[in-house]
Amino acid sequence: MKLSTEQFNALEHELDSVKQQVQQQLGDADARYIRRVLLVQRLSALSGRVLMVLGFITPWLWLVGVLLLALAKILDNMEIGHNVLHGQYDWMNDPVLHSKRYEWDIACDAGSWQRTHNFEHHTYTNIIGKDRDFGYGLLRLSNDFRWRLRNLWQGGTYLLLSMLFQWGVSYHELAAQRVFFGKKKADRHTQVSDSELKKAFFGKGARQLIKDYVFFPLIAGPMWLWVLCGNLLANLLRNLWTSTVIFCGHFTKEVHVFTAAECEGESRGQWYYRQMLGSSNFTGPTWLHILTGHLSCQIEHHLFPDIPARHYPAMAKQVQAIAAKYGIPYNTGSFVRQYSTVFGRIMRYSLPGGAKAVKGL
Amino acid sequence: MLANQPSLTLYFLPLLQRFWPGFLPGQYRAQLVTKQWQTADMLQLSLKVSTRWPGFVPGQHVLLTLQHNGRYISRPFSICSPLSLWQSRQLIQLCCKINRTGEFTPLLHLLDEGAVVTISQAQGNFHWQQPAIPAVFVAAGSGITPIAAMLLSQRHWLAPVTLYYRMRGIENAALLKDLQQLATRQPLFTLQLSDSLTAPAETLQQQLGADLSNQQFYLCGPQRFMQQLHNTLSQHGVTAERIKQEQFGLALPSASGSTTDTLLSAHFIRAGFSTTVTLNSQHSLLQSAEQHNLAPRFGCRMGVCFQCVCDKVSGQVRDMRNGALSGHGAEQIQLCVSQPVTELVIKL
Repeated sequence: MKLSTEQFNALEHELDSVKQQVQQQLGDADARYIRRVLLVQRLSALSGRVLMVLGFITPWLWLVGVLLLALAKILDNMEIGHNVLHGQYDWMNDPVLHSKRYEWDIACDAGSWQRTHNFEHHTYTNIIGKDRDFGYGLLRLSNDFRWRLRNLWQGGTYLLLSMLFQWGVSYHELAAQRVFFGKKKADRHTQVSDSELKKAFFGKGARQLIKDYVFFPLIAGPMWLWVLCGNLLANLLRNLWTSTVIFCGHFTKEVHVFTAAECEGESRGQWYYRQMLGSSNFTGPTWLHILTGHLSCQIEHHLFPDIPARHYPAMAKQVQAIAAKYGIPYNTGSFVRQYSTVFGRIMRYSLPGGAKAVKGL
Repeated sequence: MLANQPSLTLYFLPLLQRFWPGFLPGQYRAQLVTKQWQTADMLQLSLKVSTRWPGFVPGQHVLLTLQHNGRYISRPFSICSPLSLWQSRQLIQLCCKINRTGEFTPLLHLLDEGAVVTISQAQGNFHWQQPAIPAVFVAAGSGITPIAAMLLSQRHWLAPVTLYYRMRGIENAALLKDLQQLATRQPLFTLQLSDSLTAPAETLQQQLGADLSNQQFYLCGPQRFMQQLHNTLSQHGVTAERIKQEQFGLALPSASGSTTDTLLSAHFIRAGFSTTVTLNSQHSLLQSAEQHNLAPRFGCRMGVCFQCVCDKVSGQVRDMRNGALSGHGAEQIQLCVSQPVTELVIKL
């Protein structure tokens, strides 16, 4: 441990008070903001789908339609879905924007996401063997994992994962529970049976496929192929974007990884500390923050997952100052810089050897 | 399916609300026509309701929903106006007791005339079932509102009716003028006022006990008051079927609480994330969850609207309205009227 118990307690106190300040001012402005994002999302989804059909006038309209639909899906998944499912807007008591009710435009069932992402990933962030998000059981991202032959082509695996990201997210819980393949792990507990997992996976997946690749092409009549391809492209753009953002949040060069033993019985201050070391931010203009669902402030998101995300950039300044005070590394940089270290990491560990990411707390 | 939302209306909600502020699916818009103080703390709202609103049976209540600080909050209020007012002019009146330190009711006072609010369908099964049988009505405080609607709506009087109206000081009697007018107009109706500042509760109980033959009883008032009356009537041999009652308000302890209350721990599972909190056994689960910033969905906060229903995974709770104990296993509970009895696991 690099900090003393007193320092951890002080850290806990300071970060709690940053959170409390924001919590006290939640109100009309937050409600107006998220409703406006929701309105923009609805309008771009509707106009995108209409413009794709109007592609017979000029293909440019089709292209604009595809981009609008991709924008709608990105807003729905990132700034709205991800954040609402974290319960950031539960206080509004709204019929749509509530973690218990919201369902998003992605193959992954919202309930499954809440179990694997909100619970597993956010509680056990970057703990080897507990947080499957570190490499998703597909990629070797540090020398804490044994090298296998399949890691040799993990650059390709990564590209494929990014392109099909929504299906990876959707399959995540089933892979962890060894629903279809592999031997059950004795130490995994779950509230949900395998058959319920399958039902949610196939049910939600089928609904998404039918919507984008059967229903909307069918009602487009002669433009069916354009609409089908447009939907495919919009989903692809969304997949690439979400995957890129998420990789930048956890797999940059400087990010820390932990062992289960060193996190045993940790205090809240130590949990905060681990969240700061296990995440990374990237900088950019406001529109970029919105398109990432403010996951560009991954550190703040991991410290305060249920605070409305639009407050993260302002909180980041305070958090960075606190980090400096305690000598805790604060991992941030431009989008390009952070992403290049992610890509470098994937390529480096496709070969045997390399450095261990576990440095000890 | 197309919208990833339970209904297309919910998908289009952000658009619909642009054009119709206050629009909520399953709810109805109502415009505030006038507001007027009935007494020092009872504010009467006259609302012009949407033509889609399906109407009410006198004695029923509606949930009134407002948006404040970005949150939707709602409370139930009994309709106090006669049916004829709605039939002729689409107006309903609500008599709301303004609790100046409360969260909701002070907002009603701030509403401008012309403002649009949202109301639910009429709910509840407190109504005058057999007007042909002599009946006794007992109302205390704001409990007068559903009873006034029943009496003022009645067109054909068939049997004698007595209303015992108990209030703290005659100047605090809401809707008194309307009821007095009814008493002069309608010989079968007797109005008996009972001022709690001068007449003790026993007097009212004696008056009631004097004539119990062949009558139905309709009670509405605060929890303690009704409990006492119910006991008195039972002692005089009035069977439970002859007593109809509507409970008003829930005796909630203040959020600060005293240190002598028992503390229990509970695991709230929200958005897949489990939070362990310490509960005060005197507080409702809704109060406790909110104190820990868990923000479950809620509505009326008194067991009426069922918006805060959650899955209890394990543990036992007490229904604060009647003290009934739940089972220990998995079942659905209403957070706003449930107190913890044992350790709990609850999915919010």
